[in-house]
Amino acid sequence: MEIIVCLKQVVDPELPARDFAIDPVTRWQVREGRPLVISTYDENALEVGLQLKDRLGGKVTALTLGPAATSGDAIRLALAMGADQAVVVDDPQAPVRLGAAKARLLAAAVRRLGRFDLVLCGCESADWVERVVGPLLAEALQAACVTFVSRIEQVNGTLLVRRLADEGFHLVEVRPPAVLAVTSDESNRPRLPKVKDIMTARRKPVHTWPVEEVASQAGMEGPLEVEVREVTLPERTARCEFLSGDPGEQAAALAQRLRELKLL
Amino acid sequence: MDFALSEEHRLIQTTVREFAAKEIIPIAADLDHHPRFPAELIARAASLGLLGLTVPEEYGGAGLDGLANVIVQEELARASAGVQAIVTVQNSLVCDPILRFGTPEQRRRYLPRLASGEWLGCYCLTEPEAGSDAMALQTRAEWWDGRWLLNGRKLFVTNGLEAQLAIVYARSEPVPGARGISAFLVEKSFPGISVGRVEQKLGIKCSSTVEIVLEDCRVPAENLLGERGEGARVALSTLDGGRIGIAAQAVGIARACLEECVAYARTREQFGQPLKAFQAVQWALADMATRIDAARLLTYRAAWLRDRGERCTAEAAMAKLVASETAMWAAHRGVQLFGGYGYTQDYPVERYFRDAKITEIYEGTSEIQRLVISRHVLGRR
Repeated sequence: MEIIVCLKQVVDPELPARDFAIDPVTRWQVREGRPLVISTYDENALEVGLQLKDRLGGKVTALTLGPAATSGDAIRLALAMGADQAVVVDDPQAPVRLGAAKARLLAAAVRRLGRFDLVLCGCESADWVERVVGPLLAEALQAACVTFVSRIEQVNGTLLVRRLADEGFHLVEVRPPAVLAVTSDESNRPRLPKVKDIMTARRKPVHTWPVEEVASQAGMEGPLEVEVREVTLPERTARCEFLSGDPGEQAAALAQRLRELKLL
Repeated sequence: MDFALSEEHRLIQTTVREFAAKEIIPIAADLDHHPRFPAELIARAASLGLLGLTVPEEYGGAGLDGLANVIVQEELARASAGVQAIVTVQNSLVCDPILRFGTPEQRRRYLPRLASGEWLGCYCLTEPEAGSDAMALQTRAEWWDGRWLLNGRKLFVTNGLEAQLAIVYARSEPVPGARGISAFLVEKSFPGISVGRVEQKLGIKCSSTVEIVLEDCRVPAENLLGERGEGARVALSTLDGGRIGIAAQAVGIARACLEECVAYARTREQFGQPLKAFQAVQWALADMATRIDAARLLTYRAAWLRDRGERCTAEAAMAKLVASETAMWAAHRGVQLFGGYGYTQDYPVERYFRDAKITEIYEGTSEIQRLVISRHVLGRR
């Protein structure tokens, strides 16, 4: 099975809030000096891809769109975890592109890679949370699409995909080629690479394609089509509310308040 | 000069940090309060390749350099000095001398088992009457009927309870001092080797520390490690690497201490302000950070020298001396910063305090490190 996993590099979402900053000039999140990691759900997607390869054989290609200069760690991790090769679409502007443009570039890169059975990506990125790349990528590739995928099994030659739903899950039968947007699940917790595999990852092929070439194939020459005008930090306010009455009344009032806040 | 870690080293660091955060830190306090050998955790460490870090791939190891080893050891020790002690003994005191002094057959027989975690190893040098004066050891090795017969007692053997293989130093020649010593690879299944007293310790409690008793222990001729009478060279070379591992352990303990202190100083309020607003606290944390960085750089340098095949006896001693005294000092300051809470088991600083002390003692006390360094300074290298 030919599997391509799209990996986005983001500023580590686990960093404390005080390390989150927006550049006043570019209006984009400051990346310099912050650790960059593979976006959370993309790592789950990679794990799903590697498990499929472990079970069914085939090849996993890690595909990332980002500045090549800072993509090394993500690529090395993907290769150390078990991906067979990596492709970096070297795009210094990647951090300032939104999902629609990224999907078109990724689709062009996937086409350039050739035949594929599955393209896997995270169901949302840890920074922009747009949730559009998977569906738009499928549209561009004329492939089937399932979102919020937690597990994939192969039964009698077809793929049975478990998709999270509000009150449980859907079981969807999928015929490749398909794009699957993966969410986290107990079964797809990313593996830690073995230290030996970290060292041998260097021997695996990494292809770097200039974004201009890929953009040209995607018909996207010229300036960015969408410009983000402003990004602001949300204001956080804290308020303390005391509930009166005896313990029974307090409990009832607390339950009522939590329901109003949609926390129950 | 380049102080930046390579891509591989950085990824090894983040991988082991994640392993430690998810799988060691959650049970580190419990392993200390209810001491036991963490078999599952060590098996997991083995599956990641942490038990044969510098063993070449052809013997089933990870094929890393010594710098990667100290990076790994610091991350493990930051989580649990006891767990790290188990791992560093395997790497620095067992795999390393087999790799450096073993015959091809010895390497083939032992390294794959050690690197995979199937076997643990231990290192038997210290004796009741030969601690800092290790070369005064009295365990005898006699050649008898085509094999070696070993007799004596070894003390303070880390991993001795669980190990299937022991590297044992014994006097094979009738001369005193370093010249009469040989090193042997002794399998636990050989007749005549047994575990004696099990020590109850102040810290690093999840690693066993035992007495190994040798009573007419029969060792085949092919299990001599290195040349006959050259055991001191094996021991001292091994200790260079071992001391670098302990330096990394001490840096890890000190860093854990600093990180706990920083978190506490941010949240704990006294006299209407957080502790971090007091200059005395700020300076204590600044001193801790500076000393830890100095210790780490000395440790990295010693590992780097050893990777280049250069002699690093003095540099390894300097790294261990500075790092271990930094760990002890940082833990002492840490307990003080936490006040009453620091004296309780509600916070980990009291564990760091107990764990740090051993780094000033084993694999050469601070006094021995100063002796080694002074010989270097005075020209008796």
